[in-house]
Amino acid sequence: MSRQLISANHAAAEAATMAARANKNARGFASGIYPITPQTECIEYLAKQEIEKGAVVRVESEHSAMGVCIGAALSGARTFTASASNGLSYMVENIATAGFYRLPILMYAVNRTLGPPWNIWVDHGDTFQLRDAGWMHVYCEDNQEVMDSILFAYRVMEDARIMLPMMVCADAFVLSHTMMMTDMPTQEQVDAYLPDLNLPHAVASEPVTVGGLDFPRETEVHRRQHQEAFDRVPEVYAEAQAEFEKVFGRKIPDRVVPYQMDDAEIAIVCIGTFASTVKPVVDKLRKQGIKAGLVRLRMLRPFPEQEMVEILSGVERIGVMDRDISLGMGGVLWSETRGCAPHAIMQNYMIGLGGGDVRAGHIETIFTELLEQKESGKPRIVEVG
Amino acid sequence: MEIRIHGRGGQGGVTGAKILALIYARLGKDVQTFGDYSGERSGAPVRAYTRVSDEPITNRNKVYHPDHLLVFDDSLLGPAVLSGVPKGGHILLNTTMSLSDLPPEYADFNVGLINATEIARKHGIGTKSLVIVNTTIAGAYCKLVGLEFSELDAAYNDIGFASNLDSAREAFETVEICETSTPHQHAPEDDLSAAQLPMVMELVAHVTSPATGLKTGTWSSQRPAYVEKLAPCSAFCPAGNDAIGFVQAMAANGGGAAEGAEILGRSTPLSAVCGRVCPAPCMQGCNRAEKEGTVNIRGLERWIAEQNPVAVRKVERVAEPKRLAIIGGGPAGLSAAYELAKAGHDAHIFDTEAKLGGVLRTGIPEYRLPRVALDREVDDVLALGVTAHCNEPIDAGRMSELASDFDGVIIAAGLQKLRSLGLPGEDSDAVEQGIRFLHRITMGGGATVSGHVVILGGGNTAMDCARSAYRAGAEKVTVAYRRTHAEMPAIREEIHEAEAEGVEMLMLRAPKGYVVADGKLTGIELEIQELGEPDESGRRSPKGTGQTETLDCDCVLLALGQSIDASIFPDGWEMSDDHHVKTANGAVVFGAGDISTWEGTVTHAIGSGRRAAGLALNALGVDYETFVRPERLTAVPATAIRMDHFSKRDMNADQMAHPSPLAGDYSEVNSGMADATEADRCFSCGKCTSCDNCLVYCPEGIIARQTEYGYAVDNDYCKGCGICVEECPRDSMEMYQL
Repeated sequence: MSRQLISANHAAAEAATMAARANKNARGFASGIYPITPQTECIEYLAKQEIEKGAVVRVESEHSAMGVCIGAALSGARTFTASASNGLSYMVENIATAGFYRLPILMYAVNRTLGPPWNIWVDHGDTFQLRDAGWMHVYCEDNQEVMDSILFAYRVMEDARIMLPMMVCADAFVLSHTMMMTDMPTQEQVDAYLPDLNLPHAVASEPVTVGGLDFPRETEVHRRQHQEAFDRVPEVYAEAQAEFEKVFGRKIPDRVVPYQMDDAEIAIVCIGTFASTVKPVVDKLRKQGIKAGLVRLRMLRPFPEQEMVEILSGVERIGVMDRDISLGMGGVLWSETRGCAPHAIMQNYMIGLGGGDVRAGHIETIFTELLEQKESGKPRIVEVG
Repeated sequence: MEIRIHGRGGQGGVTGAKILALIYARLGKDVQTFGDYSGERSGAPVRAYTRVSDEPITNRNKVYHPDHLLVFDDSLLGPAVLSGVPKGGHILLNTTMSLSDLPPEYADFNVGLINATEIARKHGIGTKSLVIVNTTIAGAYCKLVGLEFSELDAAYNDIGFASNLDSAREAFETVEICETSTPHQHAPEDDLSAAQLPMVMELVAHVTSPATGLKTGTWSSQRPAYVEKLAPCSAFCPAGNDAIGFVQAMAANGGGAAEGAEILGRSTPLSAVCGRVCPAPCMQGCNRAEKEGTVNIRGLERWIAEQNPVAVRKVERVAEPKRLAIIGGGPAGLSAAYELAKAGHDAHIFDTEAKLGGVLRTGIPEYRLPRVALDREVDDVLALGVTAHCNEPIDAGRMSELASDFDGVIIAAGLQKLRSLGLPGEDSDAVEQGIRFLHRITMGGGATVSGHVVILGGGNTAMDCARSAYRAGAEKVTVAYRRTHAEMPAIREEIHEAEAEGVEMLMLRAPKGYVVADGKLTGIELEIQELGEPDESGRRSPKGTGQTETLDCDCVLLALGQSIDASIFPDGWEMSDDHHVKTANGAVVFGAGDISTWEGTVTHAIGSGRRAAGLALNALGVDYETFVRPERLTAVPATAIRMDHFSKRDMNADQMAHPSPLAGDYSEVNSGMADATEADRCFSCGKCTSCDNCLVYCPEGIIARQTEYGYAVDNDYCKGCGICVEECPRDSMEMYQL
């Protein structure tokens, strides 16, 4: 294992390449790719790799990129693609198809603001629009987590009990283009961690129609099965965590990542790289005697409701930081979290929309206001420029 | 510790930040580095950041209070760039400024100044459109902040930048540093309240607002310019012809043969001649050779000459013309006379033969150069007012008279002394100098030979003798040469033509003696050679093996080379450097052609004649721009041509028809090209053809055609990205620094 100064984009591509090579004794690897800022560096890097029994297919659109992955996955290959923002919007039909086909496809999604007007910076609205497409979602905090989560995702997705696609999400530029020192796994480690993919419903030599027509009764059952697969994720996730630590010597974070929450009375709930900015503020407030804490939601789907309820049970004041807006409602993270702490004063802050640089000073202001708040208010947009 | 870099898109600022991060990572620090990206392209202001810490870094914000500030382009300098740097911090500027130019507001900072753009350009870092300065600036940075150069050295070797180390070292050693006595301070807290934020238009207005009025050209640190560079064909022409000029005149959008003839006429009176017998150095230089084959430039010169049978050239005599005598009416003499006549002076050519032309007439057979073509061009020269004195052999006495009768003399007499072997039997009737043999054919009403003819030598005279021998009746012709094909001085095409006509090439054979029986030549004894070390001409020299063979033959023609016949020089006269001839009494005398240069081709003779004429005028006090042969190395190289722009298309070669049988048939073998479409193959190296490529590729759409010629760049919006220059197929654009 070596340490390298690389961007999250390259870390993702490096992880995908190693996962691809690890399936060479099974049906190999295929990836349909189409560029979009801020993930382009990732697929450029992937396209340059020599992958035995692997194909990186350059196509004319995001829709086709996912189409390549669907076809390849149906034949039993390990797959990977990457996209962002309106590229994901264009891909949606096939994203839902991949979800409902129960194909373990991995997407590295770099969170970028939806346009128009065009904006290339971070906002989580692009992957949140895919919340209900039958995919697992995880959101990362640093480069190492991006790399590890991709390897981890294959292990979870391809488990016979799961067979679901997963999005590994990273904040535009704050992660995608930022270079950090990253522990690079070896191919031997990845080979040991990832078993050969054995898709139970892989298409063999006989031609078949995949999908076909479902009548209401059949859909009822298929949806129930799909939900049951999601219900098995916590168990498989925990096993894959343990195995990851055994092979790589590093931990995969839990689905919910608490910080200073054991006795917290006031807490921020957020996803992604916001957590890194909040932590020093929590430390500062603790020194002032305020029992502050932080909850980072790493996995959006399946939603870890039980963990969230437990962690937030003793918290009196909760600020939910959303870098997204469900127009006509408020922050998506807030609406997801509301039911987990009905006892608390909960305030939604939609902050850093469109990629504004949210700094410690902004977080301190949020904590200060929240401490004085008498009851839950309507969702608020905080402008940071 | 935090570092902020300000640069422009394309300068390598983001990689620069990474380089600094890698240097610190090697020292065991945790590092983080990222660019502050936006939607703009090359030339736009760009920021990049590096954080360095002994602890794991969790801060993901941009850098607002950099301890070290690096500015890659000093045209960016302003309050926004310098903001946030705490007093006592370090600032490194890439600039042409020196410390004495530094404004007082820098007094609280440790400042380093380096002209990294100049250094990086000198070391060739970047492309022709963009100098990449990051690796060089890093050298100055190390010096400024007290890092050892060895750290940079090691980091560059790790990341494959070792080739940039020399440039970085120069920056490390030459950066100007001014340290401040102000201690390092903490920056004050920033006001983050929303009241500080700029106003924004309503969404609907934002969506429908007209295009930005932002003059993005102000971001630019460099701009494109249209330039004309020397094309290799022109650079390689010893006569100084504007080769690319006449070829482009024949291209689809050119001015046609009349314009081509006008361009050729500026430098040469002998297009029809050179279009046939020139070794065409222009084609050796042609960059198209790197694609699928050179442009047939010689063929185009001939085409132009043939489309313009009557050259109407008018000259005006100057008020007080100089009178010059030119000894010899060969190509050098004709060229010198042409140059003088065009300049308005009087030229008198003295020649031994009945008509002018020299070796073109006496040495080159009709099947290569029909007399009608030669006569026409000689007549054209005479039509300018040049006086011919034919049938006038010149000896040393007559030369002295001419030197006093005329203002000056140009000796273009050629190499009249013929080399022979000096072996017994050479006086046989069956052994003849090749030059004499050719003279008999061209001037003496014909010559006949029979049986097996052996030619000794490997130059153009040898080839002419060989091919002429078949036409004069030989049954078999053999060329015996002491080196190999590769070393033969003859024009390549002539060798191929001779072989095509059945001439046998016997290589590595040197003559040892004639075989004579009963007073009659029956053969020649040849010693087999092998090649040894290169001689001063660069060609490998032959060495005898001691092994000999006898070649039966009926006739031997000697083509062993020529030298100066010194008997024409009066006492005290002596050839000197660069066409000068030293005389006893200070008379103005110059040499021209082979007698001065020994270069042996028509095109060299033309250039030499031009130069000698100019030097003579200068020596006579005339203000005249004397021809200087172009410097080949300054020509546009093939690597500067965008080959992919051009479709593959084979050369339109000359049409060849060898008579059969050859005996008695002196008709011209080469009938030239069927048309002049060959000109469209010309890359036009270094010369804009208005191809629109720059206009099409400009990402800003700010290059426009001009009514008259060429293009205009709207500098209000040119960001200096250099794409037009990169995409120019023919290297006729350049970037210049603002």
